[in-house]
Amino acid sequence: MRQLFLAGLAFLAACLISPGLGQAQTAAAIQPILQDHQALIVKSSRKTIGPAIDAVAASGLPQAQTVLEVWAAKNMWQRKSDGLFFIGEKIDSKTYALTDFDSGESVGEFAKSELKQLKPNSGIRALIGTALVQFQLSDPNIEARRAALLSIERDPEASLLAPLRASIEAESDPALKAQKQRLERLLTIGYDSDEAARLAAIADMAGDLGVDVRATLNPLLTTKRDVVAGSVPEGANIAAILTPGQGDFDRLSAYDMLVAKDLAPVRISQADIRSELAAHIEGARVGGVPVAKLNTEGNRLTAYTALAEAGAVPAFVTDTAIDAALAAHTFFDAYLEPSEAVTDAAAQALKDIELKVGLNQTLDLTLDALSLASIYFLAAIGLAITFGVMGVINMAHGEFIMMGAYTGYVVQQIIPDHTLSIIVAIPTAFAVTFAAGVAMERLVIRWLQARPLETLLATFGISIALQQLAKNIFGTQARPLTAPGWLDGAWVMNDVVSISYIRIAIFILALIFLAVFLYIMKRTRLGLETRAVTQNPRMAASMGINPDRVNMLTFGLGSGIAGIAGVAIGLFAKVTSELGSDYIVQSFMTVVVGGVGNIWGTLAGAAMIGFLQKGIEWMNPSNTLAAQTYMIIFIIIFIQFRPRGIIALKGRAAGD
Amino acid sequence: MQRSFIAKNPSVLIFLAILALFTLLVTVMSEGFGVGGISTSFIKTLGKTLCLCLIALAMDLIWGYTGILSLGHFAFFGLGGYMIGMWLMYERTRLIVVDSLANAEIPPTDGEVIDAIGNQIFGVVGSSDFPLIWAFADSLTIQLALVLLVPGLLALIFGWLAFRSRVTGVYLSILTQAMTLALALYLFQNDSGLRGNNGLSGLQNLPGVTASQDYVSLWFFWASAAALGAGYVLCAWLVSGKFGSVIRGIRDNEARARFLGYSVETYKLVIFTLTACIAAIAGALYYPQAGIINPAEIAPIASIYLAVWVAIGGRGRLYGAVIGAAFVSLLSTWFTGGQAPDVNLGFYTIKWVDWWLVLLGLSFVLVTLFAPKGIGGLIDILSDRRAAKEASQ
Amino acid sequence: MTFLKSTLAGSLVFASLAGAAMAEDDTIKVGVLHSLSGTMAISETTLKDTMLMLIDQQNAKGGLLGKQLEAVVVDPASDWPLFAEKARELLTVHEVDVIFGNWTSVSRKSVLPVIEELNGLLFYPVQYEGEESSKNVFYTGAAPNQQAIPATDYFLDELGVEKFALLGTDYVYPRTTNNILESYLKGKGIADEDIFVNYTPFGHSDWSKIVADVVALGADGKKVGVISTINGDANIGFYKELAAAGISADDIPVVAFSVGEEELAGLDTSNLVGHLAAWNYFQSADADVNAEFVETWKATMGEERVTNDPMEAHYIGFNMWVNAATEAGSTEVDAVRAEMYGQEYPNLTGGTAVMLPNHHLAKPVLIGEIQEDGQFDIISQTAEVPGDAWTDYLPESAVLVSDWKDLDCGMYNTETKTCVQTLSNY
Repeated sequence: MRQLFLAGLAFLAACLISPGLGQAQTAAAIQPILQDHQALIVKSSRKTIGPAIDAVAASGLPQAQTVLEVWAAKNMWQRKSDGLFFIGEKIDSKTYALTDFDSGESVGEFAKSELKQLKPNSGIRALIGTALVQFQLSDPNIEARRAALLSIERDPEASLLAPLRASIEAESDPALKAQKQRLERLLTIGYDSDEAARLAAIADMAGDLGVDVRATLNPLLTTKRDVVAGSVPEGANIAAILTPGQGDFDRLSAYDMLVAKDLAPVRISQADIRSELAAHIEGARVGGVPVAKLNTEGNRLTAYTALAEAGAVPAFVTDTAIDAALAAHTFFDAYLEPSEAVTDAAAQALKDIELKVGLNQTLDLTLDALSLASIYFLAAIGLAITFGVMGVINMAHGEFIMMGAYTGYVVQQIIPDHTLSIIVAIPTAFAVTFAAGVAMERLVIRWLQARPLETLLATFGISIALQQLAKNIFGTQARPLTAPGWLDGAWVMNDVVSISYIRIAIFILALIFLAVFLYIMKRTRLGLETRAVTQNPRMAASMGINPDRVNMLTFGLGSGIAGIAGVAIGLFAKVTSELGSDYIVQSFMTVVVGGVGNIWGTLAGAAMIGFLQKGIEWMNPSNTLAAQTYMIIFIIIFIQFRPRGIIALKGRAAGD
Repeated sequence: MQRSFIAKNPSVLIFLAILALFTLLVTVMSEGFGVGGISTSFIKTLGKTLCLCLIALAMDLIWGYTGILSLGHFAFFGLGGYMIGMWLMYERTRLIVVDSLANAEIPPTDGEVIDAIGNQIFGVVGSSDFPLIWAFADSLTIQLALVLLVPGLLALIFGWLAFRSRVTGVYLSILTQAMTLALALYLFQNDSGLRGNNGLSGLQNLPGVTASQDYVSLWFFWASAAALGAGYVLCAWLVSGKFGSVIRGIRDNEARARFLGYSVETYKLVIFTLTACIAAIAGALYYPQAGIINPAEIAPIASIYLAVWVAIGGRGRLYGAVIGAAFVSLLSTWFTGGQAPDVNLGFYTIKWVDWWLVLLGLSFVLVTLFAPKGIGGLIDILSDRRAAKEASQ
Repeated sequence: MTFLKSTLAGSLVFASLAGAAMAEDDTIKVGVLHSLSGTMAISETTLKDTMLMLIDQQNAKGGLLGKQLEAVVVDPASDWPLFAEKARELLTVHEVDVIFGNWTSVSRKSVLPVIEELNGLLFYPVQYEGEESSKNVFYTGAAPNQQAIPATDYFLDELGVEKFALLGTDYVYPRTTNNILESYLKGKGIADEDIFVNYTPFGHSDWSKIVADVVALGADGKKVGVISTINGDANIGFYKELAAAGISADDIPVVAFSVGEEELAGLDTSNLVGHLAAWNYFQSADADVNAEFVETWKATMGEERVTNDPMEAHYIGFNMWVNAATEAGSTEVDAVRAEMYGQEYPNLTGGTAVMLPNHHLAKPVLIGEIQEDGQFDIISQTAEVPGDAWTDYLPESAVLVSDWKDLDCGMYNTETKTCVQTLSNY
């Protein structure tokens, strides 16, 4: 160990003393290059790491690619004793095996405490990725080529254009080839020296929706605001000439630009006056005004003007002076890109794209609204059944949703396979909440049938008891309910429109429920009996229908659906004991707005609330809370005009 | 009139006597004026409980007597607190600012004083300008008037809209719930002008008052007791006359009352606005004792608890509401405060902090199922038994 | 010497007291003011358990000043007014010598007037928005310059972020922090239109639109980074949506100030690898004291439990208080306060935390990348950064300093050279 250290030291010394000799010696070794930049590599900061990466990349050694790859993967380790860098491989949590970069041979196992792992941050990893591009573009391994393209996409650079162009011809994979060609076009727009080629590339990419296209075009239109005395300078690529006080370019900031360029004297603010006055107090007077009287702005100005006349302070800049200064100068925005043809083409192309982007954003918003509506629908459908059919307000509905979500969590603890566990969880959640619903109906609700307001209170009691019970059992921490792998990710139509698979699944689930509900109501004996009981319970009873049994089953059904909704909501959001209460108010709104006792009403209500909320969010993107507030206010007003909801029902529920 | 109403409600005198006795007892036992024994923090709890009793009275009036289950009365309670809080906060900050600027070399302009106050109050929400709604915050008189006007006006507009469209029953309950939710969400916003989630704080420090909280807490306790007494008398007077008969008639059969020629909507609107004002007064007394008001206070859950207190105490009788509010809220304090001893069952230890809410929830269910008259029903049983005894003798 | 004197005096007083009083005086009471129920219980219960563990450890070491420590635990139930009430109860009824507690800023603002009125002592362990320095509170969590500013610097310098999305839950901490950051970023030459701000309610779960908005920010070719002050449960939905949208940390990095090991426990982190968090402590910190601390915690609470930053804050705060009380020879608030300044205690991450005269700590700032196992890989650790009560990046606060040792003022205007106020603005 000690010998090795000495050897390393001697080696290092040799490198340092005679660079010529060092280079000759290290024709095949990359370690000395790393050692030359040891401090930078260890410091590991994006701002300073450049020379180290460049040196490795430019070394021309076959090991360079390995070094960069190992480094980026956080597998490069430094031996503390001699500062040399190695590939580290984990043996166990305390021991690592090291391999030499140059010889590729193992140098033995070391305790973790003797080593230091190099953890390049993602900024450095991006730089390494860019440096790797030249090696990877024609790499036989398709993954490496893909990584190279990703690096170019993330950090496009002028220097990458030539190697990229050179690699297109030989590309065998058609998908990658298309991607390379696309990137080549984008790099051409940004970095080619030939104006005609750039214009052609812009024309090629016109109408493309990709974020990367806009990301290439927009920088071309970067402007810089400037001001000159007299008229606009020759040769500048002017975007706009500005008039102070118009649009969002106000007079004072315009004047401040003049001040910054030393074209006008500094403005004197109230705070400046105050501090200057304080600095010039002479025997309880300033500029002839008694200090005690300086409590108005007018008196302060008088005192200040007196001081200015005496030459003690700079003169106050009046409004007229400001206007005169502004009038004497020209303010303009100039493009940083000198070529007018390019900026015009880019602006035109962007304008075309923006229109398409706007349309697609509307589509995306519609998808979001649909998704939100389907979630509200799912949460509310169980409530619609119990509220609509039985006229019973179930404040514990949210807790049934929560119970479903926790059932999903418990099932997932028992069955680790995510797909299977979800398949098991859905019927289990239904069974659990169905049972809970039936129990609640038999034990509580049945006895309060004639007293709807008291049902509300009793079910609220159940709600807080269940919520606290969940806290006692599962703790207050959120529990993970993980969606199966095939629901990960999103369905991407283009760079603007996309929606996650889990939301699509929830949407489909909502449709299934709608179908199942309609089927039960319209095509089964239970549905027939339920409709009969809804319309006239006494008459139904006299026809041999048992209303108690019908009520019990309906309640169970409504609760069971809430349980399944809970699994779905848990998958896309979170599983906590407060999950239910987050949705209960929205669910009520959905049912009430839609109209009680009608599944289509609930659907309409969910759709309206979903779209409304997204619409308000779109108008006020920086404050989601406001969107919710305005939505509720809208609902309150809406109910004033349609107290029975969008689709009003005639029958028992309507007559309360 | 006056005599007949007291005669009809002997409970009014009993209630006032008990309240006076209770107030006297607490004063004697207090740390500020008495021998000590009841801590200042407990006096604050008691004072706040009296305010809760007052709003429970309002709830009883609207639910127990008129049959409108409002799940939004805490909105009015909270607004009352906000209105008085604005003055407390403004004035306290003004005194601090004027004090600190007095030492400056140059006397401050009015604008500078306002800016400094604004910066102190709204600094936490990253702003320093006074929103428009603070226009009258410097005047105690106007803010006191606003305590009644703002919640009253909100109740009037909301009630007018809702009753005009004949929204009734559970729909109205949900609508009132939506109202309080909307208000809470609005106030949660930072830009609402009332300091968002932070709310108004430090309200227990009365501007310009240097007396210790031992005394201040008692002042508020007395004020709360007086307000509760006055509120009780007012409610008892209301429900004993013709007005009381009409609203009970509306509760029992709204259509019939309408057909008899009563303007049901007007009665409802009056009672809704009146109870909102009572709630606002309760709130204005409550929050200076609590010290802080923020939007979470008016979240829908608070109003539901209010309904539960009244249900447990016994609807349709004024003392029931008072008993319910006092009993449940004090019990709640006791159980969640960690004072209640844990129960060790051997295999499991029941920690009341964890299980109190379960117990409370189940007790609602039991009360609604088996004792719809609440605790007040017990008194009926007792008085019935005595009456039976007297009859048999 | 002073210690000896006061011990002597103490024992004299002690001897003269009746036996009944002795039982009372036997213990030193430590108040624990953390919500055990309600929305904040999720975070605060852990801190209560931490305090109980620390107190047990101290008692095993022989207690403090020859007495045993006794924890008085109350439950303010995530109800802000109740915090004030319970604080008063702790100070006047239970007569505790010190309180460890609070999580949210609004709860702290609620207890401030009570603590200042009764001259209590509060240790506040959570990162917060600054702009405050109370005589009676020691802030052992991070001020913005110990978390937000270094993380933003990291974004600017290391990741080359040019466009910022500041996403937060709508309450005072995110609002103030984002205000400070906006002002800081503008000072760094980031234009107004390159800062996107959004606030969502507590527990928000519908994130698709917001995530889409963030992705759309990349359209002008600048690198986008997200600075998240999203609180609590809402993070779960946010990260799930982020993962679903396939946003890699290399494309749009997210740095969170309120997401720690505890929050990640409710998530599958495999899709979030590489996203960042900034704290003063991570469980993965490679130090012997930390290994020991984590081991004790797991032994007390269960193998699956994790440690987090506010726990470390309590660890430092509690030990500093113990040492200060030992040096003062008393638990009397003013005596302990005087000894607190300059008090040093080793961080769990290595290095030493120092209590400054402005009641804030000097602590190192760590930036970690989320790993598959829900832990953080520490990729950057600074030297100790002194906490700044009044930020330098807002014009109104830049002129203010806090120094309770020499100036005896928490809000001192350096321009007018006056103490604005000795009580806090709450």
